[in-house]
Amino acid sequence: MITTITVFFPLLGAILLLLLPEEERPLRYAALAVAAVPLLLTLYIYFAYGSGLEVPSLTQDFTWIGSLDIGYRVGLDGLGFGMFFLTALLTLIAVVASYDVRENLKQYFAILFIAEVGMLGVFASEDLILFYIFFEITLIPMYLLVGIWGDENRRQAAIKFFVYTFLGSTVMLAGFLAFGILAGTYAMESLTSGGGLGRTAQIAVAAPILFGLLIKVPAVPLHGWLLDVYVSSPISTNVVLSGILPKLGTYGLIKVAIPLLPQGVQPFLPYLAAFGVINIVYGAFVAFLQPDLKALVAYSSIGTLGFILLGAASGNAVGLNGAVLQQVTHGLYSALLFVLVGVIATRTGTRKVSELGGLAARMPWAGGLLVLGAMAAMGLPGLAVFVSEFMSIMGGYDAFPVQGVLAALGIVLSAMYLLYMLARVVFGPIERPAYEAVEDAGPMEMAAAVPLAVLLVLFGVFPALLISVQRPGVEAVISAIGGG
Amino acid sequence: MVTGLTFLALLPELVAVGFLILVLMVGVFFQRSIGLVAALAALGALAVFGSAAGLLAAGFSGEFFGGGFVVDNFALYFKLIVAGSAFFAVLAAARWSGGTGDAPEYLTLIFSVVLGSILLVSMRDLFGIFLAIELATIPSYAMVAFDRRRQESAEGGMKYLITGVVASSVLLYGIVLIYGVTGSALLSDVSQTFSGSLTPVALLGLVLLLSGFAFKVSAAPFHFWTPDAYQGAPTSAAAFLSVAPKAATFAVLLRILLEGMPEARPTWTVLVAVVAILSMFVGNLYALRQTNVRRMLAYSSVAHSGYVLAAFAALQGAGVATAVQAVLIYSAAYALMNLGAFFVIELVGDTAKSFNGLFKTRPGLAAAMLVFMASLVGIPPFGGFFGKLWVILANAQAATTLTYVVVGALVLNSVLSVPYYFGVIRSMFIEEPVVDADTGGPKENDSGVRLSIFVLAAATALFAFFVGPLAALAGASGLL
Repeated sequence: MITTITVFFPLLGAILLLLLPEEERPLRYAALAVAAVPLLLTLYIYFAYGSGLEVPSLTQDFTWIGSLDIGYRVGLDGLGFGMFFLTALLTLIAVVASYDVRENLKQYFAILFIAEVGMLGVFASEDLILFYIFFEITLIPMYLLVGIWGDENRRQAAIKFFVYTFLGSTVMLAGFLAFGILAGTYAMESLTSGGGLGRTAQIAVAAPILFGLLIKVPAVPLHGWLLDVYVSSPISTNVVLSGILPKLGTYGLIKVAIPLLPQGVQPFLPYLAAFGVINIVYGAFVAFLQPDLKALVAYSSIGTLGFILLGAASGNAVGLNGAVLQQVTHGLYSALLFVLVGVIATRTGTRKVSELGGLAARMPWAGGLLVLGAMAAMGLPGLAVFVSEFMSIMGGYDAFPVQGVLAALGIVLSAMYLLYMLARVVFGPIERPAYEAVEDAGPMEMAAAVPLAVLLVLFGVFPALLISVQRPGVEAVISAIGGG
Repeated sequence: MVTGLTFLALLPELVAVGFLILVLMVGVFFQRSIGLVAALAALGALAVFGSAAGLLAAGFSGEFFGGGFVVDNFALYFKLIVAGSAFFAVLAAARWSGGTGDAPEYLTLIFSVVLGSILLVSMRDLFGIFLAIELATIPSYAMVAFDRRRQESAEGGMKYLITGVVASSVLLYGIVLIYGVTGSALLSDVSQTFSGSLTPVALLGLVLLLSGFAFKVSAAPFHFWTPDAYQGAPTSAAAFLSVAPKAATFAVLLRILLEGMPEARPTWTVLVAVVAILSMFVGNLYALRQTNVRRMLAYSSVAHSGYVLAAFAALQGAGVATAVQAVLIYSAAYALMNLGAFFVIELVGDTAKSFNGLFKTRPGLAAAMLVFMASLVGIPPFGGFFGKLWVILANAQAATTLTYVVVGALVLNSVLSVPYYFGVIRSMFIEEPVVDADTGGPKENDSGVRLSIFVLAAATALFAFFVGPLAALAGASGLL
């Protein structure tokens, strides 16, 4: 019950917000309050249940359409909990970071909260059709967030995002439907290890599902929609867009594709690992070439998603744990970087790396946090991303040595462009006289950035805080692979 | 034998006749009180709805008039759709028709279409079916041409009339040929003849029958009257005619095919599948090129006829039960979303420009239109998604090459339809409001239409809650 309440609370909040008068300050406080509730509920779940999430009070199972065995089935497990928490957290951060949204604020928050319903729902679904429905609920809100509040390029960005991901998810739905018809049910629990399907059938079903999920991630040849969307969005949308949305795809891999269709996915695994490596290397190289700081962060974000693919493809406990953890840590660091890009862009009036320089002197806080975020992105030990990337590479190396080694090289590449970026933007001489007068990040901006930085350090030092929760979920995946 | 039970079976029809006469008479005697007439008409639609719902709740079923008239869950369900749509059409038409000075006549026409449509879904006799179709169609010509202030209305009505008459003749010809082969017009007798390999005459009859039906539901290649008729018609007429009589026609076609010619399945599934695929492509490709939203919706209705007919292709093997559910669910979802979309046009205007910046000027209306458009694309959790989901499921369960082709066409067309539905969404949400543009003049704030829009949008958005009961209802329907 508490899961359902957490998932649908933002919808209630959205409706309440729409009823409020059009006054900025009360609206922002109300939105903060709405966004805080799911986070508090999630924290309550964490402290009350911890690593024993699979209890009746967190699961619900109603038959929805009996003849097809489609149900409203929700629950939390180790795989989803981290993302559930991250969704609640980043939505709150997005509300805090919404200082760059000035027009139609009420509607902005309402749409953001409807997107949150979809995202929370995906990470709690235990039924394929329900998973798909929640997956798609995020689509229109994201289209609107980019389309209404984005920059001048927003029209193309919004429709591109929509068409790509709608195509992907429709193909994925075809796979789900075929799976359900062949197996006679859509309950994930009964579908574990193939739901009785033979190897050939599993492969036929897995192919469209993987395609749809990889578009969402996006895995590199399928990433055509991404850059415009990331660059056009307002910063607070970026937080959600880069922090959570790609995880709908990767989570689908870890929660649906791999445990439910182990034999079907198996022939694709080397390619999946290769996709991961391509993401890492391609993301790093292209990020290096970006003149725009926001585009650089966007490609950096694509790159480190590759570690999730690699770890998921490994099929062993270390790699899967790394992948599940990387989903969370990636969200933390990319959200942090986007928030800081926003701070820098509003202060200096430019996002061009070549026009920036020497910000550390004038903006010690923002500059320092940017250094921390970049260090996290390159996988520096002591920060959370290091743990998850390291585990992904270890697991990946075990299963696919070549891909594992290449992925490790990718870390070096990412260090190159990130250090270059830091040297240009944060350090060095002050590039323009105008920058002498820029102010450091304000209280709201710090409120958005600091929690993320703190969590990056916290999970870097105590990764067990998350790993202990996710371990039972990962073990279930391992046993599903073995059982297939 | 006409017994008390017969009257009960005919209750929705009798209520409809009663209110038809009442609305007309009250209109004659109280010419000034348009409000009274409209209220009476709305009450009448609710009474028809209520009587059908009562029969459904009581589990009433039976055959009457020598097996020519049947009441079962399937028929009652479609009576609900027709009566419900009529209720909203009356609400939307009330103020507009008052302005024409002929409100009672217009509302009476709506009731005639209702009467024909609810009779139609209970018919089990080919000639009865023909009569009921005509009873529903002839008043609809007048409805389309009713707006005498606009020339397009008369033009649309004329085109609709001429093509409609040709379609009726084709349909009748088909029925006569089938009657000639079987010697009876009762579906139970027809099924005796339509077994084994079909004789050429029987096949011709079947083809003509299907062509006639394709005209009536505006499926390609018999769709060409649709855009002109819907563009010219008063909005309430276009909205109502695009959902209620169509749903009834689909229902009776389902009955003819399943009860009258189950053995000829291999033939008609192919025929219907071809029409379905053609309709999807023609509807969507033409809709992409429209700048007038009303015309766009007309072509979209061609495409949606294709989606419903796609369910007919799955009436074989393991797909039959789900296919019947699909027609039921799709018809309900389509009625909600299409009525709503037309009503928004009534308030906003029908050029693409008139939707610009609606989000800023009238956010509630924009949100409602967003729901309708997204539902027409088939995005969950809105009603249209469940319609399409069921069509795909049915075809996948039937699992023949034909049905896989149909599914492929459907998925492709869903993606194909994104640009034009999202064109409207883009205008509303992304573009800036057009100041002082020619949007056909500012529309008056018609509260009946507004209320209908928000009720329909809510129902479309919450369709997930209805879909379980609807699917169960189809399982208990008389057809299976």
